Amino acid sequence: MQDEQSLVQRAQQLDQEAFTQLYERYFNKIYRYVALKIGNQAEAEDMTQQVFLKALQSISSYKWRDIPFSAWLYRIAHNQVVDYLRKKTRQPTMSLNESLAISESNPQQTAEHKLGIEQLLLATRRLTPAQQEVISLRFTGELPIAQVAKIMGKSEGAVKALQHSAIVALRKLLVVVYDDKKG
Amino acid sequence: MIKRDREFDNILNECLERLLVRDETIEQCLAGHPELADTLKPLLQTAAAAKKATNIEPRPEFRDRARYQFRSALQEVASKKSRPIFSWRFRWATAVTTVLILLLANGGMVAAAMGSMPDEPLYPVKLAVEQLQLNLTTSPLDKAKLYAELSDRRVTEIIHLAQEGKAGLAEVVTQRLDNQLAMIASLAITITRQEESRVLEGALPVPATDMDVKESQEFHQTGGGGDDLSQLLEQYAASHSADLNHALETAPEGVKPVLLQAIEVSLAGYEKALNALSE
Repeated sequence: MQDEQSLVQRAQQLDQEAFTQLYERYFNKIYRYVALKIGNQAEAEDMTQQVFLKALQSISSYKWRDIPFSAWLYRIAHNQVVDYLRKKTRQPTMSLNESLAISESNPQQTAEHKLGIEQLLLATRRLTPAQQEVISLRFTGELPIAQVAKIMGKSEGAVKALQHSAIVALRKLLVVVYDDKKG
Repeated sequence: MIKRDREFDNILNECLERLLVRDETIEQCLAGHPELADTLKPLLQTAAAAKKATNIEPRPEFRDRARYQFRSALQEVASKKSRPIFSWRFRWATAVTTVLILLLANGGMVAAAMGSMPDEPLYPVKLAVEQLQLNLTTSPLDKAKLYAELSDRRVTEIIHLAQEGKAGLAEVVTQRLDNQLAMIASLAITITRQEESRVLEGALPVPATDMDVKESQEFHQTGGGGDDLSQLLEQYAASHSADLNHALETAPEGVKPVLLQAIEVSLAGYEKALNALSE
């Protein structure tokens, strides 16, 4: 964390190497977070770029003492997703009309994985917004509970309880989605 | 009841931390809480399945394109910020003067630091001096050459660490090498664009002064500097590949994966930079 704090301080002075390191550290995670929220590859790619450009524009106003850098970055991503969904006249694409790239070379595994993402997307849409956010931040961002709490403006205990209820609901929904697919 | 729920939330969270972040297995988590195994197991299975499903990666071509665009934006913002603000320049001049005084006062220490390795106490001084050199270098061409020189130092350091069997530190330096080579590629795009616009300007009639004529002639005679950089990068690409491969032959088994990674980073980094210069 100390290392990240010093990187952020250098990035605030527009030290290009420091900013590049932060970018590389978070690029995949932010892409994953956005892609799973909106379920569309092309839109997710555009939005991921927007998140980092926004971070570049706003880095001077960021204050470490308020929230960790990762939490700040995810908050930008979250706001972009919310704006995007608000502007859309209908609900976000439920099916992956452009398949999300998956790092597997075996076609069968890839197909199974795609099915897995699709099921997860369908199931998470049926969770409450707060449960969805916990699942996204914990599973795609791999953020610790303390940072998730900061991002969501809740206590750690409340986030743990939400996490619990989200996984229970997800388990039930995944069984339903799987049965629907089979049927 | 509430207390019991909270306890369960804490245990579930601890297991998720082990499963999601530390890559432990469900069985390892359950072994610590056998009395709750029946309740925890299905939840952890769901979490593991969700984690697997979310393991998606951006397309490599998108990642490369986005990286270049971000670095171009970063350069643009950095150059805009550094231009017009007098007070910033004043502060900067003060900082530089202070550092120069420190350098003069501790010249011996700095000289020793410049030859230090990442596992030595003076290494942070070396990095600080390098950062200062980068901050003081404004021309993209000079900066790219400086990054090339720094990359050369990083390769020397990686080989030293490999010989010492210090895989962890070698990995950190390899990441630094990757970043520095990426900066060269990014600067190469700027240099190529500058050269293109100067060539276009050169096609316009009559430079205004004798000095303009001289500069213009020098620019065309030297190929604008990009050729020098290409030659330098080609030399480093060849020598780094040879040196790292040689180190690989004699390195302890434990550091070989890091050396292979460094070879890959070096080949890919120089290739990208050279491609950007030749476009």
